[in-house]
Order: sequence, then C-alpha cells, then structure tokens
Amino acid sequence: MQTVVLDKVPALGALYAQAALGATRRVRRVAPGSLPDVSAEAREVRISEESLIQYQRLLGDAVREEVPSVFLHGTVFPVALWLLARKDFPLPLLGMVHLSNHVRHLRPVRPSETLTLRAHARDLRVHRAGTQVDLISQVLVGEELVWEGRSVYLAKGVSLEGSSRPEAEPHPDFVPPATTGRWRLDATTGRRFAEVLGDFNPIHLSLVSAKLLGLKRPIAHGMYLAARALKSAAPHGVGYAWEIEFAVPVQLPGSVEFALTSATQSSVGPGTSDEEPGSVGFVGWDARKVRPHFAGSVVPLALAATVGAGTD
Amino acid sequence: MGQNLSQNRPAVVIGGNRIPFARANGAYVGASNQDMMTAALDGLVARFGLQGQRIGAVASGAVLKHSRDFNLTREVVLGSALSPQTPAYDVQMACATGLETIGSLADKIKSGQIESGIGGGVDTVSDAPIAVSDDLRNVLLAAGRARSLKDRLAAFAKLRPRDLAPSAPGTDEPRTGLSMGEHQALTTQRWEITREAQDELAAASHQNLAAAYDRHFFDDLITPYRGLAKDNNMRADSTVAKLSKLKPAFGKSLGDQASMTAGNSTPLTDGASAVLLGSEEFAAEHDLPMLANFVDYELAAVDFVSGEEGLLMAPAYAVPRMLARQGLTLQDFDFYEIHEAFAGTVLSTLKAWEDPEFCKDKLGLDAPLGSIDRSKLNVNGSSLAAGHPFAATGGRIVATLAKMLHEKGSGRGLISVCAAGGQGIVAILEAR
Repeated sequence: MQTVVLDKVPALGALYAQAALGATRRVRRVAPGSLPDVSAEAREVRISEESLIQYQRLLGDAVREEVPSVFLHGTVFPVALWLLARKDFPLPLLGMVHLSNHVRHLRPVRPSETLTLRAHARDLRVHRAGTQVDLISQVLVGEELVWEGRSVYLAKGVSLEGSSRPEAEPHPDFVPPATTGRWRLDATTGRRFAEVLGDFNPIHLSLVSAKLLGLKRPIAHGMYLAARALKSAAPHGVGYAWEIEFAVPVQLPGSVEFALTSATQSSVGPGTSDEEPGSVGFVGWDARKVRPHFAGSVVPLALAATVGAGTD
Repeated sequence: MGQNLSQNRPAVVIGGNRIPFARANGAYVGASNQDMMTAALDGLVARFGLQGQRIGAVASGAVLKHSRDFNLTREVVLGSALSPQTPAYDVQMACATGLETIGSLADKIKSGQIESGIGGGVDTVSDAPIAVSDDLRNVLLAAGRARSLKDRLAAFAKLRPRDLAPSAPGTDEPRTGLSMGEHQALTTQRWEITREAQDELAAASHQNLAAAYDRHFFDDLITPYRGLAKDNNMRADSTVAKLSKLKPAFGKSLGDQASMTAGNSTPLTDGASAVLLGSEEFAAEHDLPMLANFVDYELAAVDFVSGEEGLLMAPAYAVPRMLARQGLTLQDFDFYEIHEAFAGTVLSTLKAWEDPEFCKDKLGLDAPLGSIDRSKLNVNGSSLAAGHPFAATGGRIVATLAKMLHEKGSGRGLISVCAAGGQGIVAILEAR
C-alpha cells in the first residue's frame, strides 16, 4: 500500500467543499477492489489545548491529562476524510451514512504527546441499502499504536458490482431499558460540536443547511452522541475498547433518553458477549416514538492484553 | 463500636428558630438569603438572650447561592445581634446542608472544641442567582486579561448573540440531565409505590402540620416574617380525595403508571432556619433549656449515575450503618422524621428497609431492618406540607424533633434527609 504523507492535517471545511463540487457526478455502481490502495499519514501532530478545554466544557466533563477517545477520533478524522475526498475514491462523500464505530483505545493518551495519524479504507462490501466501507484510523506515539478505530460508512443506493443486496432483516422490537439520563439538545448542539472538532458537515449545522441536503432538520453528530455516552461509560487511566452502532438520527433540537446497562442488554448493536469486569452497555432512544438512536458498549482492556491488538 | 463520639460529653439541642416557609415567588419575593438567614438567626438570639455573646461557631449555607455570598454565614453574623467575634462558616451539601452544619457543630461540642454552636441554612428560589452564559463569561474574562485595546476588541469579537442568553440554576442532576422528580419517578416505580399511598402520606403531612399549629406547637420555634406567621404551602383541609384529582407532574413517560403530582411532591420554597446547640455546661451557665442530645449522624452516597440505585436512596444506606454503630434497631425510636422530598421518597425508603432482598444484597444485612410504627412518622408534618427551602430543612427538623422528644420526656428520634448528587444524611436525637 502506498503511503501519502500529508504536510499537515487537512481542514475539514476545504474537504467538504471539494466533495460538494464533486457531488455533481452521480454514482450508481462501484466495482469491488476499486478502493485506492493508499494510506494517508500526518506526522508531528499536537493536540490543541484550547480545543480540548472547549470540548470538555461542551460535554460538561473535567479536563484531565487524558485525551478523550472521541477527541482522538476527531483529531484523526480529517486524515480519513482526505482519502474519501480524493477523486479516485469510488463512493460519494456527501450523503454517506455513518453506521458504526469500533475503537480500541489502547492506553491513556496525554495531551502533550506528539501524534502520528494514519488512515486507510478497506473492505468495500454489500449492504442491504447500498455499499458499505470501513475506514481504519490509527493514532501512534512514535511507533506505538495507542488508538485504533474502524468507522463503517454506507453509501445508500450504490450497488456493488457482482453482489446482490441481501433482504432487509426484520428489526427486533425495541424494548427500552430503565432510563438513567436524559439529554436535552438545543438547536446549537451541532454547530457547537462542529466548532470544537471542525466537522462542519452541513447536515449538523442549521435548519437551512440541513434542508439543502434533503433533511427535515439538522441532526446531531454521531460522534457527539458517542462522546456523551463515553463521558458516562468510559473508564479513566486504563485502555478500553468501545463501539457504537447508530440507528435513527437524533434531530435537533431534541431530547435523547439514555441508559447505562450491563453490556449484554444492548437491544440494538452488537454489545459484548463476554462479560468483562467493568464492561458497560449504553443505549439512547427516542422516548416518544420508542425508537433507538444508538447503542454500544465499553470494555476496559487488561493492561497485558493491549499488545498486538490490530484490526488488520 | 466503643470508639464512637457519643462517649464524649453530650452535645445538647437547646432550641431552634425559623421563619415560616413560603412558596416560591410569593410572600418572600425580594428577600435575599442573607435577609432571611439574618431574620432566623436574630429570632434565635432574641429567644435565648444571646445578644452580644460570642458563640463557638455559626454554620449555615444555601444551595442556590450568589457568588457575592461567598461568606454568607459570616456576613449574617456580622449583621446580627451576636458578638462580631463569633466565627462563622458556610457548608454546601445540597439538601443535607442544614443537618450537616448541625452535625459538625455537635461533633465540635462533643470533642470539647467549642461550648456552643448555631447551625442552620437558608434558600430562596425567588431570589435565585442568574448567571451569564459560560461563553459570555469567557469573553469577559479574556477581555479583562487583555493588555491592549486591540486584544480587548479581539476578545469581544468572539461574542455571538446566543452567548447573551442568561443561565439560571435548575434542579437537574448535571450528570444525568434528569430532574430530581424524574429520578424519584423511576425509584417510585421500582418500589411499586401506589398513587394512593403517596397521596395518603401527603394529606397526613398537611393535617399533622395544621394540628401542630393549632395546639401552638410552633409558637416557640417560629418568628413571623414579612406578614407570614405560618408556612403558606400548608393546606389544613387537604384530603386524599382532593389530592387524587391532580395530574401527574413527574414520570409522565410512564403513562398511566405515573403517580407523582404537585400534591405529593414538595414545592419550591423560600425560608431559613437556625438551631442552637451547646454543652451541658453552656446551657446550665446561661440558664437555657436542654431539649435533646444530638447523639450521632451519618452520611451516605449512592451510584445513581449508572442507574444502580435511585438518586434519593442514600439515607436507606446511612441508617443501618448508624444503627450498627449505636447498637440500635430501626424499631428503637419514638419518632421518625423522614424528610418528604417526595412522598415516594419516604415510602420507597421504608419499603426498602422492609425488603429482605434489598437488606441482604445492598445493605449486607442478615435480616431486613423491618417496618416502623407509621403513627410515629412525621407526626407534626414534614416537607410536603411545610415546604422545603433546601438548606433550611435540616434545621426545621432538628428543632421540631428536639421539642417533641423533650415534651415526651423520654425516647429517641431518627432523622433522614436525602440530597442531590445521590447523597443522604441521617441523625439520632435522644430526649432529655
């Protein structure tokens, strides 16, 4: 695989603008094996202390000598998005649906550490509603892998040549667990989160910008929901694995019913089958329509087990 | 056991004073925390002839506090008839504030550090602090740090219209986003407390409080304030039938299971209370009454964030620890003062103590704590009727219970107060 070393972490706004220009071409079909064999890398990256403080204030959490997992995702995300915005990337960036994240946060990362960021795409595969792809992102300190994430994206309505789409499986009835929290998200939630991590995807920002992309109302960033969930569920001072699967988007302004559960109780999403000590599940749902927004889990990693945990 | 503070000299409850509690945005509009606490303290000083005296320490606090009130209690003391040489400090433990001030002063008296102390608390929702938003605050702080006009302008350039919206305090738990009532609704459902049982407790609270006023029980416990001589939330003619007509106010998502109304939940209230404590020597020297000994107190906290336990259930854990330390059982009391944050809180706590599974799994007890004689519960009314100015409730309960025990001439009373943040505080008083 060819590695392209970027001079600096690209600005997301420019990438979205680039993608918007390319949006005139309509993609109906992609070939398997059409993913560019390229890995992007940014070196000597430092965390902005100001952004980290802004992030923790937004979530109502304490600023610690630890970078939150979703903040690291936000740090590496532009490098991954650079791949998606390339002309030779087969799927259209705008309008892609974020399905899930699977992260191994291998050890606590200090805000002062110098990071190397890497990303590549892999595993173009069929989905009942289109074609999905994995974006693999990595954060390294020197040669040490400290954070690795797999984000699954869906390009709706795009067929994968040679594959027929599987039938949609019937949704199991969603039975909400006992509430442990309620998030009231005002209309500025998307814009505020965008200001911190730079993800100015128009679907999150305002009524007007969301309507331009065919949404009735702006929706919350998936990673904002993950950040809120991890604020309650993630441990400190140790590594941990976590995942989140997204269902119905959260419209803004809106309210999310939230519950921490034992990990095996997740009613959407994979959950974890093994009952690790300290593992926690979480679910967010719409109380009125009784529909899940997301579900996931957090499992602390035994320090000894953090070596050689690759997704490749 | 054997190491407990009750082996030291006793801390004696001499008496108390409060102003009537007023429903928020009513009789006490315009009165500040300092105004009301000063009124409660001056009434206490007048009642016991403490003018010009140096008290060992005065402790009080408020849950909703203005930043200018950083030294609230000391300011109150300086404005009172007490000697200006009386030291004072603030405590903040949500609704446990009042009882924590009294407990900590009792400990100082027992250990011989001080001879006398005044504890209490105050709260006003009508005069609650309203702050600027964090964004505006950050802009103002940055502008204050700026060394040039250019830097100052740069700071203000970051200001957006949305930053100008003020931020008012709420009763939501910061970590869950659920209000106290919503949290209690989950607990009420967990313990299957019926609407009827909650309304019965609420009606009894009003009737008991009204009866206590009728027999002039509160004559030497209350100083009228701003035209009010009684708690104005009290409805002497309250009945279960009337309360049953109210619509649910909390836990509405439970549908027809929703059982918590404005009638069986405490209203937002303004008020202040103060309690005088002393050593036996202090009381004798000043020819003051000795109503009860403040025997012991205990704090507890629960994990409500994960949903493992209900927000207001901490007293259920504090009581058995304190009973074990004192070698007592739950039935060894003549009065039970369980703060009625919500009728559901009291009933969930009592049911938990009766539940063998809860007592074994959560409290680690071989047998359940058991039932209490309900005719001994909140016999002169509690917060559902009187109202609940957060930090003032502890002082109301201690003064009331001490007087009840003194009238009876023997026996013990148990106090239980739940608090925000999953905390709780409980105490034991003994007649003398």
